[in-house]
Amino acid sequence: MAAPIAPPPTVPRTAPDTNRYLLDREKFLGPIMLLPAVIYIVALVGVPLVIAIAYAFSDVTVGDQSIDWVGLKNFRNSWGNAAFQKALKNSLIFTFVTQALVMILGNILALVLASDFKGKRLVRFLILLPWATPVALVAVGWWWIFSPPYSALDYILREIGALGPGGWWSNDNNAYWLALPDRAQFSVVLVQVWRVLPLATVILLAGLTAIPQDVREAANLDGAGYMRQLVWIRLPLLAPIMLVAFLFGTVFVFSDMIIVYIMTRGQPNDATQVIPHLAFMRGVQSGDLASGASVAVFLFPVLAGVAALMLRTARRAETS
Amino acid sequence: MVTHRTRYLSRRSLMKGAGALALGVSARSLLRGPVTARQTPTTRNIEGTELKILLWQHFVPVHDAWFSAFVEEWGAANGVTTQVDYINTAEVPTTFAAEIAAQEGHDLVEHIASLGQYEKSLVDMTSLIEEAKSRHGEMSGVCARSGYNPTTGVNYSFVHGYAPDPGDYRKSLWDTVELPNGPTTWQELLDGGTRIKAEQGIQLGIGMSNEIDSNMAGQALLWAFDASVQDASENVTINSSETIAALDFMKQLYDGAMTPEVFGWNAASNNQLLVAGQASYILNSISAYRAAMEQNPEVAKDIFFSYPLAGPNGTALANGHAVYNAMIPNYSPNQDTAAEFILHLVNNYEAKTRESLLYDFPGFPSIAPDLLADGGWLDVDPFGSDPVDKLTVLKTANDYTTNIGHPGPANAVLGSVFGEFVLPNMFARVARGEQTSAESAAEAEAQINAFYEQWAAEGLVGGGR
Repeated sequence: MAAPIAPPPTVPRTAPDTNRYLLDREKFLGPIMLLPAVIYIVALVGVPLVIAIAYAFSDVTVGDQSIDWVGLKNFRNSWGNAAFQKALKNSLIFTFVTQALVMILGNILALVLASDFKGKRLVRFLILLPWATPVALVAVGWWWIFSPPYSALDYILREIGALGPGGWWSNDNNAYWLALPDRAQFSVVLVQVWRVLPLATVILLAGLTAIPQDVREAANLDGAGYMRQLVWIRLPLLAPIMLVAFLFGTVFVFSDMIIVYIMTRGQPNDATQVIPHLAFMRGVQSGDLASGASVAVFLFPVLAGVAALMLRTARRAETS
Repeated sequence: MVTHRTRYLSRRSLMKGAGALALGVSARSLLRGPVTARQTPTTRNIEGTELKILLWQHFVPVHDAWFSAFVEEWGAANGVTTQVDYINTAEVPTTFAAEIAAQEGHDLVEHIASLGQYEKSLVDMTSLIEEAKSRHGEMSGVCARSGYNPTTGVNYSFVHGYAPDPGDYRKSLWDTVELPNGPTTWQELLDGGTRIKAEQGIQLGIGMSNEIDSNMAGQALLWAFDASVQDASENVTINSSETIAALDFMKQLYDGAMTPEVFGWNAASNNQLLVAGQASYILNSISAYRAAMEQNPEVAKDIFFSYPLAGPNGTALANGHAVYNAMIPNYSPNQDTAAEFILHLVNNYEAKTRESLLYDFPGFPSIAPDLLADGGWLDVDPFGSDPVDKLTVLKTANDYTTNIGHPGPANAVLGSVFGEFVLPNMFARVARGEQTSAESAAEAEAQINAFYEQWAAEGLVGGGR
C-alpha cells in the first residue's frame, strides 16, 4: 500500500518584492541596459561632433579656443581650396576603388574558405591577421616595403630583373612607390584593400554559410552547374550581406587618416591627400582648428548617409 | 671538441668584450663630466612643486639618457618632483594642441620649430629671457628671433639652443668633379651633382616632400636667390621674380642630379640615404654623420661639411636644423618651476652640447666657450672625427643661421606655411613639370595670403600690410 502523498507545504503569501518587480519590467530594464551604450555614444561621438560643427562656424585656433562666430567663411575657404578639392576627390576615389576590389576579392576568398581543403584553419587565420594588426603598425610595415633606399619590394623587383640597369620594367634602382602620384595612389589603395579585406571576407563567409542547404541541394537536383549556382543563387542571396560588408568598409576607408599620415602625409603634391588627413594638417599641425573642423565636417554627410543605409539594411534583415 | 671550441671562444670573446667595455667606459668618462656641471641658485620658491616636461626624442639618442638624469638630479636638489616624456618630434605639435585643449598636461614643452600659432596659450618669456641675458650675455641671432613676435611684442618661446644645418657631402665623389671641398654655391651643386649622377649613378637629395627638412631646404634655396616668404614688415613676397628663378633652378637641379624619391621622403629619409652611401650631398645637421659613424664608419669617414650654398648674388643663409623652442603653457600651475629649470638648463649648456655630441649649439654662446674657441671642440672633435677638424664649418654657424620667415619674424603664418608644407609642394610642382614656375609661385602666394588673413584676424601678424 502506497503511502499517502503529503500535500505541499503552504507558503505564506508575502508582499511582492517591488525591487524585483521593477527589474522585471521591460520598460524600466530596457533603458537601464541601454544607458551605458547611450552615454558612451553621446560622450565619444555626439559631443565631439557638436564641438566640431561649432568650431567649423567659428574662428577658434589651437592657441585661442574662445569661439567667435564667422558664419560660413571657413566652408567657403575650404571649398575654394585646391588641396581640399583634391582631398575630396581622392577620398571618394580611394573609398570606392578599395570597396570594389574588396567586394571582388572578398567574394573569391569567401568561396575558397567555404570549401573544404587541408589547412583551411591556417589559411583563415592568416587571412584574418591583417585585421588584427594595429593600423599604425600596418602602415609602418608597408612604408618600409615601399620606401627607398631599403624598399623590400624594390629589392625583389631588382632580383627578378624588373628594376635596375637593363631592367625590363625600369632602369632605375627603385620604383618610387610613394613618390610618384599614380604609384602613391596605387600604394594607398593597396594597403587599404589589404586592411579591409579580412573583415569583408569574414562577413561574406558568414553569409555564404547561412545559405540554406536545401536551396543548394535543389539546384544540384535541377542540374545547375557551379557558375549558374554562383550567379543565380549564391550572389543574389549574398547581396544583403555584401551591402553590409560594403558599408562597413566604406566607413573604415573614408574616415581613415592613419595610412596616409604614416605612408605619404598626402604627398606627392596632395596626390594622396584625403579629407581626414587634410583636416588634421590644417586644424592641428597648422593650428587653425576652425578651418580643420570645416574640412572634417565634409565627412559628415557621406558617413551619415552610409550609416542610414546600414540601419535600413539591418532593419530589412530583421523583418525578413 | 665543439664544447671545447665554444668554451675557448666564449672566454676569448668575454675577455675582448670586457676590454672593449673598459676602454669605452674610460673614453666616455674622459669626455664627460658629472651630469650637472653647476647648480643654479633659484630665485623663485619652487620646493614641493612638480615639473612635467614634454620633449622631442633627440636625433642623437645618447642625449636623452643624459637629459633624464640631469632633470632628475635638479629635481632632487630643489625638492621638485620631475617627469620627462619623450615623443617623436612630429607628434609634439599634436600632443601639445591636445593638452592646450584639455587645459592640462606638461608644464614645459619643447619643439624643434617655432609654434607662433600657439602664442595666445603660452606664457610670455620676455622677462625670463632678460633674466638669462643678465646672467649670460646676448643671445645668438637665430635664437633671439625664433620665438619672438614683434607684432604683439611677445616672446612665446624661450629658444635656448639650436642645431646648425650645413651641407653634408661625400668627399670622394666631389673629388672626382674637381670640387674636393664640396660645393660652395648652388650652381656648383648643380654642375657637380649632375656630373656625379651621370658618371657614378649617385644622386643628391634636397627634399620636396611633406616633412620638416624639405621645408627648411626650400627656405634656404629661396634665401640664396634673394627670395622670401615675407619681407621684414610681414608682407607676403613669395610671388616674385626671385622666387621664380629659384623654382627654375630647382627644376634643373632635380632633372640633372636627383631622383623622384625626394617627393616621397619623411624627415629621416635623407639621413638614411646618406648613411647608406647613396647620396652625394644632403642638407642636414651632423646627426646623419654621427649615425654613420656608428652604422657605416667607411661612409662616415667620407662625409664632410660645407657652408650654406651661395646664390647668384652671393647670399648664403641656413635655417637652424632644429631650433629648441621651450614653451610654458598658460594652464601650467608650475610656471615658476619651469622657468627655473630653463635657467638651469641654460646655465649647463656646455654639458648639453657635449652630451649631444656637439649637435646642440647654445643660444647664449658665452655658456660653452670650448665649443667655438680656437683649438676647441669644433676644431678638434672629441668624438672621433677623422680628420679631427671636420666640424670647423660650424664655427660660424651663428652668423649664417637665421630664423624661419627671415627677413621677417617667425610668426604664426610661417607656422602654417611649415605645417601645410607650402614651400616643398611649390618646388615639387615645378620639378615634376605639373606647373610653370610662375603658376606655382602664384598658387603658393594664394595659400600664404589665406594664412595671413587668418592670423591677422587673430592679431598675431601685422606689419606694413
